[in-house]
Amino acid sequence: MRPFLLLALLVSLPVAVPAAPRGDEASARAALAARFDAALRGDLPALEKWLADDLEYCGVSATCSTKAQYLESVRNGTRKFKSLEPKVERVTMYSDTAVLTGKVYAVSIGDGTVRNVNAYFLVVLVWRDDRWQMTNQSSTLLTPASK
Amino acid sequence: MRRFAAFAAIFAVATTLSGTVFAKDDARVESLRTAEAARFKANVDADPKVLGQVLDDDLEYVHSNGELNSKKEFIESLVSGKRDYVATTFEIQGIRIMGDVAIIRGTAKVTVGENGQSRDLDLGYTDIWVWKDKRWQMTAWRSARMPPPAAK
Repeated sequence: MRPFLLLALLVSLPVAVPAAPRGDEASARAALAARFDAALRGDLPALEKWLADDLEYCGVSATCSTKAQYLESVRNGTRKFKSLEPKVERVTMYSDTAVLTGKVYAVSIGDGTVRNVNAYFLVVLVWRDDRWQMTNQSSTLLTPASK
Repeated sequence: MRRFAAFAAIFAVATTLSGTVFAKDDARVESLRTAEAARFKANVDADPKVLGQVLDDDLEYVHSNGELNSKKEFIESLVSGKRDYVATTFEIQGIRIMGDVAIIRGTAKVTVGENGQSRDLDLGYTDIWVWKDKRWQMTAWRSARMPPPAAK
């Protein structure tokens, strides 16, 4: 009889464990706002928290960075902003994933020159460790007409 | 002996279950690759039927020049010839599936026809797919022009 009890316990485990609270749209928006704010302030501990370990960060020049590469660029000052204004235009929620799209208006000062970088962004957040984490950001420069 | 048999049974069930999950994931990755290939081909063929299937109704397609299209606008631009993809080659650099959402990252060389001439665009792209109605559908596309190779 015991094996069957053990087997029943194993099968019922996913049902018996209470589901962790999941993020909603408001918390996804807040997480993205916090992520942009951390990027503006160059706040490495906050970025460490908001960026997923498997981050793919693809900029307007089509080059992609890992989380380590992204954090290093913030640390060494090559990625630095004077201002960073995101406007989220669409949020689509899935079970443990949120896809956010919109525009971001940035003034970059990281390479020693002041540069306006206005772009469409596509962000994927995943719900891990009881919080949203950004696992992908991909951007395309805006046309003058689409600003 | 009975205890060993019990653990053996549990191990067998767990192994079978996880094997099933892995097989299912493999199948989903393959079906995603197939859908991506079909979508690129349909762009070149300007095939509204295939594009209707592989593109999500809520599609946001941002071209590398910053132009934004809905699904309807994108398909119409291809069918009308306003946008002419003469040829496309692509390379998938990464696929990640998270539940019913997938991220594909890749590069593509797109030959675009314009006023009787053609030019090549070298792109890095990310597209997002969702599993809906028992098939993958692309719901977002972002691409950016890759910098020209450094002169040697």
